[in-house]
Amino acid sequence: MPAAAVFGVLAITAVIASLIVARPAITVAREGKVLAFLGLFILPVFTSVLGFDSHMERSKATSFCLGCHIMEPYGKSLYVDDSTYIPAAHYQNHRVPADQACYTCHTDYTLYTGGIKAKFRGLHHIYAQYLGKTHQPIKLYQPFNNRECLHCHLGARNFEEGTTHSTMLDDIKSNQLSCVTSGCHDMIHNASHLNQVKMWSPKK
Amino acid sequence: MTETGERTDGFIVRKLRLAGALIIAGLAVQGASLWWNHPLSFIAFLGLGGLLLAAGILIYLIALVTPAKS
Repeated sequence: MPAAAVFGVLAITAVIASLIVARPAITVAREGKVLAFLGLFILPVFTSVLGFDSHMERSKATSFCLGCHIMEPYGKSLYVDDSTYIPAAHYQNHRVPADQACYTCHTDYTLYTGGIKAKFRGLHHIYAQYLGKTHQPIKLYQPFNNRECLHCHLGARNFEEGTTHSTMLDDIKSNQLSCVTSGCHDMIHNASHLNQVKMWSPKK
Repeated sequence: MTETGERTDGFIVRKLRLAGALIIAGLAVQGASLWWNHPLSFIAFLGLGGLLLAAGILIYLIALVTPAKS
């Protein structure tokens, strides 16, 4: 649902609740009771559901993931001026949506692939960032799954019919051969060495 | 007593006002959190806004089931 609609429902709820606060006597009449039930129960629950959905949707944004200080180098790594850096090449050439770059390649951090466990991990990350202790360098919970690459590349002609990948396609599909750690595409974020590489500045 | 025979006693009025005020506060927090795209905004939405809203709804439901004094 668009943000404007969420704010609209929120505003209507606030107006009805304000009316009840200002004139509680209106709840004596039947219409007033219905209005109170709407404004103090149905609409607040509905608003919360819409707001929750909106927050879930917004958590896919690249800016959301990079909101925590510890993620800054990973955001910076998207601007490395070197096409062998896989995340940078994908981000800069819009092979992944620039505004959902992290989410596209790390689907196990999402509710649908990672499950509710992934969301609790997210809450733990916030706790660690602001109240606890973070571990540097950060690590993935599980080895990077080829699924993250294949959900775009699988079915693409130049990937499946190319001499390099076609000979090992079964191993790639079954994760026997990792795309990123088997020596083929192993230049990933490399976040600890960013001061040694040339950076790309997008034209405004 | 009102013309319809129902009471608008102080207890229920106070509860309705409190419920409404908590819900307005919760909505304000939730609305503000939607302007800010940051992990902390989700915590504010759920932890503060959600809590205020839940408290307001609970108080309203208590007022709803509390029998009017005769």
